[in-house]
Amino acid sequence: MGFISFIQNNSGLVLEYTLNHISLVLTVLVLSLGLWIITGLIISRHDRLAGAVISLSNILFCIPSISLFGLFMAVPGLGLGRNTAVLVLVIYAMMPLVRSVYLGVKSVDYFVMEAGKGMGMTPSQILFRIQIPMAWPTVFAGIRVSVVLITGIATMATFIGEKTLGRLIHQGITRGNADMIIAGAVIVSLIALLLDYIMGRIEKKVISPGLRYRTND
Amino acid sequence: MITLDRISKTFPGTDIPAVDRVSFQVNAGNICVFVGPSGCGKTTILRMINRLEEPSSGRITVNGQDIMSLDPAVLRRTIGYVIQQIGLLPHKTIEQNVSLVPELLNWPKSKIKARVTELLVLVGLDPGTVGRKYPHQLSGGQSQRVGVARAMAADPPIMLMDEPFGAVDPIVRIHLQDEFLRLQQHLKKTICFVTHDINEAVKMGDYLIILNMGRLIQMGTPLEVLTEPADDFVLNLLGDDRGVKILDLTRCETLMDRDRNFPYNPDSCLIQSVKPVKIALELMMKKNIDQVGVCKGERIVGVLTWNSIKEHISRVSRDRP
Ligand SMILES: Nc1ncnc2c1ncn2[C@@H]1O[C@H](COP(=O)(O)OP(=O)(O)O)[C@@H](O)[C@H]1O
Ligand SMILES: [Mg+2]
Repeated sequence: MGFISFIQNNSGLVLEYTLNHISLVLTVLVLSLGLWIITGLIISRHDRLAGAVISLSNILFCIPSISLFGLFMAVPGLGLGRNTAVLVLVIYAMMPLVRSVYLGVKSVDYFVMEAGKGMGMTPSQILFRIQIPMAWPTVFAGIRVSVVLITGIATMATFIGEKTLGRLIHQGITRGNADMIIAGAVIVSLIALLLDYIMGRIEKKVISPGLRYRTND
Repeated sequence: MITLDRISKTFPGTDIPAVDRVSFQVNAGNICVFVGPSGCGKTTILRMINRLEEPSSGRITVNGQDIMSLDPAVLRRTIGYVIQQIGLLPHKTIEQNVSLVPELLNWPKSKIKARVTELLVLVGLDPGTVGRKYPHQLSGGQSQRVGVARAMAADPPIMLMDEPFGAVDPIVRIHLQDEFLRLQQHLKKTICFVTHDINEAVKMGDYLIILNMGRLIQMGTPLEVLTEPADDFVLNLLGDDRGVKILDLTRCETLMDRDRNFPYNPDSCLIQSVKPVKIALELMMKKNIDQVGVCKGERIVGVLTWNSIKEHISRVSRDRP
């Protein structure tokens, strides 16, 4: 259990990297949720746009993260540091989020929406009172995937100067210090698990019990 | 009152019209039943009345107003709609489902709550237990009751009901039909009712509109349609037991012999004049007799004989040339 003593001996440094890691992830999460949920909702109403946007998100998702960090670093005005890191991670969150919102909204039972329309609901009432609440289970699955994803990829931001937990892993590799690598990896995993747990709790509050039986059985 | 004037509907990408120059009028307080085989255009006609579909040509008016001049959402809030697929909102409780239209109309909370309780009782559900459940926890019959309650929530004068009792077994269906007819006696709503079941149509309808391949084939009261089917299609639709159906809809007073003297005694005063002939027939078979006295209250007004029933059925249902 050498990594525990590593953490104890370098607690100041580890804490700094951990907090920085978490703050990066949370910043990215807030921005991504706002941006990509709205994008998902918009494309759910424009089928032709949807194809293009989802293809784009797939392509971006397939680019190796390290090259994306490198490319954006070279863009004037971005450079090393937080802005570039946030931008790249937001791009990675695009695929799971946009896709899950789109699929969630699109998979709402046609006849439930027809019933709403037939009762006199306007298109925006149908969106907010039927489509979005019924899409939540799918959307949450996407959110939880992206939380874990962002937490993991945030380690790579160390290469453009962000002091995330990736720094422990990277330096551990260059110095051949296994404890350092393990310490970094374990804390990253714990952050991912914690955020996923919190999301799970929020999910239980947000998703109607009328829909929950579908995921439980 | 609802009128359709030469309404046609051709869906984009199809050549044959789903609804072809259909005209009719539904009077206030009546149940008008649209009946015909699957795909004959029943649902499409219903959906044009609340503007879920736009006619390709023709004019629809509701209470004298051309519906094209009304805001579709506002129009739909004044017309109860029971969708064929039931379509309850799965993420909302039964109470919330029934509250839907009153909420859209911004009724005060307390009024909505009272109305929901009243409606659930009206359709035979216990507000205390069923009200807080979610749609997936209900049986087919319960769901259809909720569908009907939701459509009636804001007390709309007009209701469009698309196979409202289609998703339940025959026993529950008959029960729901009876209950609904009992309600309608007080409610006196103007109802367009769709079914593909001729027995349901004959039972529920003040008027029948018979459709085939988008065309209106015949309209009239159930008795008119049964006794004077317009063509072989209608004859086929009515089934092999047309005569028995007629006996169910014909009152004893229609077939009784008023002139014949019937020996009066209280025991022979067997049947009331407004009862269906079917009941008189049942009596004759049970008691092994071939005539019964027909009464209005205590007073004997005529006699109904086995022969007159037979002759009537033979006359109206003889093979047509
Ligand atoms: N949205 C649609 N697009 C194309 N064709 C349709 C659409 N809705 C109904 N139809 C066609 O119109 C005809 C009448 O359908 P419908 O009114 O649903 O019949 P019914 O309710 O009597 O079973 C059918 O042939 C059906 O395939
Ligand atoms: Mg139909």
